[in-house]
Amino acid sequence: MRPRRATGWVLLGAVLLGYPLVFSDAYYAQLGTLVLLGAISASAWNLVGGYAGQVSVGHAVFFGAGAYLPLLLYKIWGWSPIVGFPAGIAVSVAIALLIGLPTFRLSGHYFSMATIAVAELIRILVGNWDFLGASIGLMGPATPRAWWDLVFQSSIPYYYLYLAVLVALLALTFAMERSRFGYYLRAIHAGERAARSLGVPVRRCKLYALMLSAAFSSVAGSLYAAKFGFIDPNSGFGILVSVNMVLMAALGGAGRLLGPLLGAAILVPLQITTNSLFGGGGTGLTYILYGGIIMLIARFEPGGLLELWDRIRGRRAA
Amino acid sequence: MLLSVRGLGMSFDGFAAVSDANLEIAERAIIGLIGPNGAGKSTFFNCLAGDLMPTSGKVLFDDADITHASPEEHARLGIGRTFQVPATFQELTILENVMVGAFLRHSGEREARAEAERVLELTGLAGLAGKKAGTLGTPGRKRLEIARVMATRPRLVLLDEALAGLTATEVHQAIELVRAIHRTGVTLVIVEHVMEVILTLAERIVVFNQGRVIAHGAPSEVVNDPAVIDAYLGRSHARRAATGAGPSRGRA
Amino acid sequence: MILAQVIVGGLLIGAVYALFSSGLTLIWGMMNVINFAHGEFVMLGMYVAYFAFTLLHADPASFGALAAVFLFVLGVLVYLLLIRHVMRGPMLAQILSTFGLLLFLRYTAYWAFSANFVTLPEGLFGPSLNVGGILLSAPKLVAGVVALLITIGMHLLLTRTALGSRFLAVAEDRQAAMLMGIRPDRMQALAWGLAGASAGIAGALIATFFPISATVGESLALVAFVVVTLGGFGSVPGAMLAGLLVGLIESLSAYYFGPVYQDVLVYGLFVLILWVRPRGLLGKA
Repeated sequence: MRPRRATGWVLLGAVLLGYPLVFSDAYYAQLGTLVLLGAISASAWNLVGGYAGQVSVGHAVFFGAGAYLPLLLYKIWGWSPIVGFPAGIAVSVAIALLIGLPTFRLSGHYFSMATIAVAELIRILVGNWDFLGASIGLMGPATPRAWWDLVFQSSIPYYYLYLAVLVALLALTFAMERSRFGYYLRAIHAGERAARSLGVPVRRCKLYALMLSAAFSSVAGSLYAAKFGFIDPNSGFGILVSVNMVLMAALGGAGRLLGPLLGAAILVPLQITTNSLFGGGGTGLTYILYGGIIMLIARFEPGGLLELWDRIRGRRAA
Repeated sequence: MLLSVRGLGMSFDGFAAVSDANLEIAERAIIGLIGPNGAGKSTFFNCLAGDLMPTSGKVLFDDADITHASPEEHARLGIGRTFQVPATFQELTILENVMVGAFLRHSGEREARAEAERVLELTGLAGLAGKKAGTLGTPGRKRLEIARVMATRPRLVLLDEALAGLTATEVHQAIELVRAIHRTGVTLVIVEHVMEVILTLAERIVVFNQGRVIAHGAPSEVVNDPAVIDAYLGRSHARRAATGAGPSRGRA
Repeated sequence: MILAQVIVGGLLIGAVYALFSSGLTLIWGMMNVINFAHGEFVMLGMYVAYFAFTLLHADPASFGALAAVFLFVLGVLVYLLLIRHVMRGPMLAQILSTFGLLLFLRYTAYWAFSANFVTLPEGLFGPSLNVGGILLSAPKLVAGVVALLITIGMHLLLTRTALGSRFLAVAEDRQAAMLMGIRPDRMQALAWGLAGASAGIAGALIATFFPISATVGESLALVAFVVVTLGGFGSVPGAMLAGLLVGLIESLSAYYFGPVYQDVLVYGLFVLILWVRPRGLLGKA
């Protein structure tokens, strides 16, 4: 690795590791945790939406499944939320297959429409099912029985837990970028017909990308449930959850390793600020802003900020 | 015979774009496919490539029935193709484009990269490896497509108007490239409009008109075949060719 | 005859679904773009009707026309400023563009009009009618009939007029259309205007009997997706047929399973269609 590149990584690593030590008060620790959570869910979306170019606008369905399972298992059997992680992944992957199997042999729009429809379908079902808490939702352990209940007083243990997961996900993405699978995904995104003519198993690759993406989105949901100890149909499956995942990835740079982290680092503080500035009406304004940003990205720089940065740098060098 | 086409037909909603096409292609041959616009050669070509499923007839590759095989299967069996409008992966670099092809035969990144570099040498693109495919002009993209398909180690390559829209110098370079890849041992089926190219490169020419094969043979034979002249230029010229009469004066 | 009432009611609302879905499928067929903000176009049509009544004290008969004009302009603007530039680019940009528009329109309405529902007073078109033992609310009847007429009109426009054949030419082969002197850009802008107008009219029609709020577009958009998929890619007659069917299915499921599950059933139907017959009723294979 070239020296300048390596320095960049070390610096980033230092910032991420050291953040809670420097900004240890509750507000900033929580902020950092939320940024990391956003980065995880956006990076998960990025696998199928950014790299493979299959735009899911209902990814909340996987996040929500991951959030509900641990709390559900706790409610029924009093199990540690940790058991819910693989359960959430299993359910999410099953939903991924339900959506992907029929739609990946059709044009891209069908997949996108299906993701919204299934997310809504599940949101309504869950919201009306008393077993799953209906519209009130589910709650996790209030007082921890041990460390494995994942209930901590301060944000800092969560911060490092989230960081570990993010690092794992990014490492996996990094390895994938350099593998045959990664090249195939990018080829599918760049030209499906040509990819097919070169022997790329298009449908299978899309499915794998979606399954992987669903699994990690589910983990993000489970991590959310672990920290907040609470989930309801809107915070789990609502369209705004999906919007956040998409926007964070797209703003930073869809299809780029660090795009989602960049997007999360910008949007999470932004959202918290606008919410506190405008109070209750903040929700409306934040999403008006989001809508505008998304349209601008789509219109002028679909590759996001990282692409914009590359372009500026390229022009200066030229 | 590497490729055998028997009684191939392709109909769309009752309109027969191709009827009863037969063709035998031996290993290492260079076959040219020509015909006026709308003659059915593109449809025939796409049936061979697996993009279209013929409504009748059979296609055999190395004695295996590939009539209904998908494009992915075609590639795996060793049939590659280029596209009339170049379909390179614009956001990927030239090297990466070719690597996608190479990954069909090599599962590791290092081997795929090595193979891709080798192919870039062969096709004269080595100096541009790190550039994005989107920066290339049309001739470069056509060249890249050829490189990319060669990385899949095909035994048969279907070239779809690989030389259309090129200047005289570019055509000359392209012909050299096609000869270079032929030397590596591939069989070629070339669809082309540019006559001189076909006549220079092809050992045998198949002529389509209105969905049927109307002539088949060595370039010199085909060029003088009345049916072919009729298809391209009209009946009067065909008559003149048949009787050996000189150019007419005045009305046809 | 409650069941007959349920059926007729379902068909009437289905006609309205057919109306706004026709616009969506027209754009899809012509430019291969799905307008994710289509539900918001309908929502805005509803608000136009509401404000026409409360602010301008306009005659209910004019709601549709006002909404049509407003949304036609909006549709054309959206095309010129946004769609035109993302149409032939990567899928991500295309889908993000109308998705961003969805958020922008929905939350602007949310911020401007708050989250509360508003309704137009009942009896705007007169009392309920009793037709052969079936009780029909006048607004619903008007909505269904007008929607059906306009949708049929759209179909005739596309298939029987010169303008329609120009649309279809652009949808079929853009290059060839250009060579024939047709300007694809103009046709596409017009198509977006038409899609907006039909969504606007549909909104104005439902506003007379349906609660109006900023988030109403969410479920309407999904209905539109189901209808255009069931109807078949780019097929306006398909959307008509599918619209009626979806309205009917929705009404029957509300009757048998309750209103909560009517949405679930429709979305479930969508997934089923994708698995079993994605080309829909009248789409090409």
